[in-house]
Amino acid sequence: MAEKKRVLVVDDAALVRRYYRDILEHAGFEVDEALNGLEALEKLLAAPVDLLIVDVNMPRMDGFTFVDAVRRQALPLAATPVLITSTEAGPQDFAAARAAGANFYLVKPISREKLGEHATMLCGVSGAGEYGFIRP
Amino acid sequence: MPVFAALTEEEYRRLCDYLYRRTGMVFTETKRYYVERRVVERMTATGSGSFPSYFARLRGNMEGEIERFVNAFTVNETYFYREDHQLQCLSRDLLDDRLRASGRGRSIRIWSVPCSTGEEPYSIAMWLLENWPLVDSCDIEIVGSDIDTAVLELARAGLYGRRALMRLSPYLVEKYFTPQGPETWKILDDLRESVRFTRVNIVEPGETAPHGRFDVIFCRNVLIYFDDASRRVAAENLYANLLPGGYICLGHTESMSRISPLFDVRRFADAIVYQRPPGDAHG
Amino acid sequence: MPLIRKPPPGNTDSTAPANPAGPCLDALVGGDDNARWNAARAAPDTPEGARALGEALGRERNPRVREAILTSLVRMSTPEGVQAVLPLLRSDDALLRTGALDALRTMGGAVRPYLPPLLHDADADVRLIACELLRQLPGEQATPLLCAILDTETEPNVCASAVEVLAEVGGPEALPVLARCEERFRGIAFLEFSIRTTIDQIRSQVSR
Repeated sequence: MAEKKRVLVVDDAALVRRYYRDILEHAGFEVDEALNGLEALEKLLAAPVDLLIVDVNMPRMDGFTFVDAVRRQALPLAATPVLITSTEAGPQDFAAARAAGANFYLVKPISREKLGEHATMLCGVSGAGEYGFIRP
Repeated sequence: MPVFAALTEEEYRRLCDYLYRRTGMVFTETKRYYVERRVVERMTATGSGSFPSYFARLRGNMEGEIERFVNAFTVNETYFYREDHQLQCLSRDLLDDRLRASGRGRSIRIWSVPCSTGEEPYSIAMWLLENWPLVDSCDIEIVGSDIDTAVLELARAGLYGRRALMRLSPYLVEKYFTPQGPETWKILDDLRESVRFTRVNIVEPGETAPHGRFDVIFCRNVLIYFDDASRRVAAENLYANLLPGGYICLGHTESMSRISPLFDVRRFADAIVYQRPPGDAHG
Repeated sequence: MPLIRKPPPGNTDSTAPANPAGPCLDALVGGDDNARWNAARAAPDTPEGARALGEALGRERNPRVREAILTSLVRMSTPEGVQAVLPLLRSDDALLRTGALDALRTMGGAVRPYLPPLLHDADADVRLIACELLRQLPGEQATPLLCAILDTETEPNVCASAVEVLAEVGGPEALPVLARCEERFRGIAFLEFSIRTTIDQIRSQVSR
C-alpha cells in the first residue's frame, strides 16, 4: 500500500482544522495542523509535506506572507503545493494569492467534496481514492 | 473499578484547544492523566468548584492564574547544561555565523536572561571553552540578568549543590569547580568573575536598552508565563537588544508563533532558533 | 581565557539602543526608519504619546516600525489607542489587518466598549473580526453577544466565527440559539459540522 500523502492544515480556527482533518483523514491523508504561518513554517522546516492548506487571516503571520516565505525556501520545500482558503472572493484576493505563489484558491465555507477533490488533485491523483474522480 | 474522571472528554478538549492556542503545546490522550492531575491541583488551590468556573478563572488570568498553571506544567529546576542541544547549536552553527557576519576582532556578546542562579550563563561559558573550536579567536562577553536580585546574589556567589551538577561529567566538575564541603561546589573564580550579572525586567525598555546589543540571547522558559501583551512588549525589547542577524533561543516548548512576528525562524541541526533579520539595521 | 567582562555600555555607546525617553515625537513621522522606530518605542513615556502614535499609525509603511507603534499602543491600552487601531481592520492589506487584530486582541477591556457596534457593522469582514475579539472577554460577557449574533446573522463565515468562540466560552444558555442556527444553515457542511460539534461539546458538560 502506498505511503499516505501528508497535509499540513494552517488555520487559526480549531473547528476549521478539525473539519478538514475529519475529511482528509477519512480520505486517507495524514494530517498535521498549525495555527498560523509562523508555526507552519517551523513545522515545515522540520518535516516536508505533500500539500499545504492555508487560511489567509491568522495571527502574527497571515497566509500570503507564509506562502511567500515558503516559496523563498530552498527546493524541494519551495515547491510544496499550496491551496489557499479564504472568506474573500474578490479578484484582488485571487491576485494576492497568485502573487504570493499559491496554486489554488477556495472560498470558505468549503464543502467536503471540494476539499477532498482539491487535496487529491494537488497531491497528485493516484488510484481510486474517495475523491479520485474530480467532478467536472 | 471505574476511575472518576476529573475532566470530561469535552472539558479536556476545550482546555487543550485553549492551551494549544496560547502556548503551542499539544497534549494528546496519552498526557491526559498528567494534565488532569495538574488541573485538579489548581482547582483545589483556587477553590474552584467546577471545571467551567476554573476555566473562566484561567481565561481571565485571575490572580495570575496563567503563570501558576503553566508553572505546574514546567520543570522549574535549573541545572548546568540544561537543554544542551541549544548549546550545541550555539557552538556548531550560531557563533560561526556571527563571526562570519561581523568579522573577527570584536567581542561576541551573549545574554542569558533570565539567568536565575547562574547555571545558564556559566554553562554557556563552560560549553564554549570545551566545545567551540574558535573560542580563542575572539573575546566572549557573557551577561546574565534576572528580575530577582536574590537569585542574582546567588549567581555571583557561584555555589551549587549536587542536583545542579547532575548533567556534568566528573571531568567537567573537577575542571571548573572546587569542592566547598560534602555537598557544595564553587565555580572557578575565573569563570565566576567573567560573567556580569545585572537586574532587569524584560518588559521595561528603559531597563533592557542599557544592556546594549548581543549576538545571541538565551531567553528560555520565561515568556511562556507572560500574558499576551507582556510577551509582545518583551519580545520587541529583546529584538532591540539583538544585533542585525543576531539569534534568540527560547525554551523547547516555546515558539515565537505565539509571541511576536518580528523574528525569522531558522532551523539548524540541533535546534530551531529565531533571528533578527540580518538586513534590518534600524533600532 | 577568552571570556571577558566589560563595564555596562554607557549611553554614548553607539551599539546600544537609543535612550527610550530621548527622541522627539516629530521623529515619529519624519526621520529615517531607525529614528521612527525609536520614537515609536519611546512614545508611551511622553505626553500626547497616544495621539501621536495614532496619527503615525495611519501613515507608517514600514512593517517593523508599524509593529513598534502597535506595541506601544498595546502598552498604553487607552480608548484613544483602540480608536487609532480600529480603522486598520477594514484594510485590504492582510498584513495591516493582522497587525491591527493582533494588537486589539491584547488590549483587553479597553476594546470592549467598541465591540457592540462592530458586531453590527455593514461589512461582514468587520463583523467576523469583532466576533473573534469577543474571545478576550469573560465568558459571561461574550456569550450573550455571540448568541445575539447567531440569531440574526446571515453570513455563514460570520456565524462560523461566532461559533468558534462559543466553543471556547459557551455554556448551556447557548444551546437553543445554536440549535436554531443549525437549522438555518442546513446544507452548509462546515457550519453543520462546527455547530453540531459545539452543541455536543456544551451538552456533555451539562450532563455531569
